[in-house]
Amino acid sequence: MSTYKIPVGPLHVALEEPMFFKVEVEGETVVGLDITAGHAHRGIEYLVAKRNIHQNIVLTERICSLCSNSHPFSYCMALERIAGIVVPERVEYLRVVADEIKRIASHLFNVAITAHLVGFDSLFMHVMEIREIMQDTKESIFGNRMDLGANCIGGVRYDLDAEGRGYLLAQLDKLKAPLAEVRALYETNGSFLRRTKGVGVLPRAEAIRLGLVGPVARASGVDYDVRRKAPYVVYDKLSFDVQTLPDGDVWSRTMIRLREAIESIRIIEQCMRDMPEGPTTIDKTPEIPAGESIAKSEAPRGELIYYLRTDGSDKPERLKWRVPSYNNWKGLQVMLTGAKVADIALVVGSIDPCISCTER
Amino acid sequence: MKDVEVIVTRSLAAAAADRYQVNWRTDVKGVTTGWCVLDDKDELVAVARALTELSARLSTITAYGAEKAKQTGKFEIAYHFDLDGDTLTVTVHIPVEGEIDSMTPYFANADWPEREMAELYGIRLRGHPHPERLFIDESLGEAVFDQYIPYSTMVNAATTKGLWEKVLAKGKEQVAK
Repeated sequence: MSTYKIPVGPLHVALEEPMFFKVEVEGETVVGLDITAGHAHRGIEYLVAKRNIHQNIVLTERICSLCSNSHPFSYCMALERIAGIVVPERVEYLRVVADEIKRIASHLFNVAITAHLVGFDSLFMHVMEIREIMQDTKESIFGNRMDLGANCIGGVRYDLDAEGRGYLLAQLDKLKAPLAEVRALYETNGSFLRRTKGVGVLPRAEAIRLGLVGPVARASGVDYDVRRKAPYVVYDKLSFDVQTLPDGDVWSRTMIRLREAIESIRIIEQCMRDMPEGPTTIDKTPEIPAGESIAKSEAPRGELIYYLRTDGSDKPERLKWRVPSYNNWKGLQVMLTGAKVADIALVVGSIDPCISCTER
Repeated sequence: MKDVEVIVTRSLAAAAADRYQVNWRTDVKGVTTGWCVLDDKDELVAVARALTELSARLSTITAYGAEKAKQTGKFEIAYHFDLDGDTLTVTVHIPVEGEIDSMTPYFANADWPEREMAELYGIRLRGHPHPERLFIDESLGEAVFDQYIPYSTMVNAATTKGLWEKVLAKGKEQVAK
């Protein structure tokens, strides 16, 4: 049988972000894949070298929307490591809270989109409605639905008093029952299972060979979570289970995200229980000397790494970051080989790709 | 000394003898970062091979800015490897006209970061399987980070302060008329 090349994208492959796939097909089976990127390249890595250290907190938050908090969070940690700043313990808890709220909202978004991509739109809308509880929570606590503006050097820019903590816990309680309900649905619904089980399989060995990270790698049985492997802030004091599944298909990736959202609720509840009183920032203006540092965090899509080098001036000499999606695109070549044309969008969506992040 | 330091130092010594420096830092959470500088860029292949044996994962590659390369005559490239949570950064220096060996035979995911540093900084790769552009269109020149300036700078509104001063000056002109 002869093969054909069909263009998929760049617009609306799975999400409203541009990525162009040249897919080679034999009949309706995918036999090859070429990825053409660059439609959302904004040169942010160049821009950060032209902005001062404080302006870059604002700029890095705008690299991505769904993992917006992970960027300034990791960037501030990189700065603090160079300056030897030890942040107050309350700050560490508040940073976890902000990051985990974002993780729940981000994971639920992808879980919802997956339902949409298999044509289960009532479930899509139902999950988006559940996610709205987290969106409301962000708006109430941080004043914004996406960019939280939670981090600064040596501290956070928000606090939770007794009323705030009560509100947050009540919002989490509201999430629990509907989340358990949709989890059961995703686990047992026949039409969802038929479209996602055994589809877009990424074997563990390939995930390791290609250096994949985050829920995509964990769904292929790679037991790696930055929060556990390289603990930062107070993750070493919090109890949570790193989620892994063995099969590496679309279903596993969806389930990992759902389970992690549920784990995040547990994490935030522990923070509310254990968070000590204290200041929310250091009490002096930070000075950043010359130096270099690495800061890693577990963003919703996996390992985010920041490398920072400073020369004692107010601008970073070099600021480089690698987002989890950047590595995960490579997995598509394995997942899509042998897949049906009708599943392309579903498999692409299942790596929870972020293109603005990837290209910067 | 943590295990990772001992194991990696042994591997580095086997791969690059005494032609490297390395130092280690461990933070309060017990997470270690290693900082290694190789004397000769051509040692990188041997070091990469040694790191694959330690099941290292290439996290990313950082190339250094063109402006600095102009001053020193050398590019600096830092390879960041993950060792089960700890991070080893291996830095090499290459002359501006020089080449660097591709890491793709050892780390499949070096593909994209290498193509990116080639298009942004004009760094030449040796042995990359398909060294075409990654993000930047072919119609744009080489080493875009060196050649191109942000649109906001081009229109002389690099900062909001600069823009505001222009607006104020315009306003005064109009009042004077």
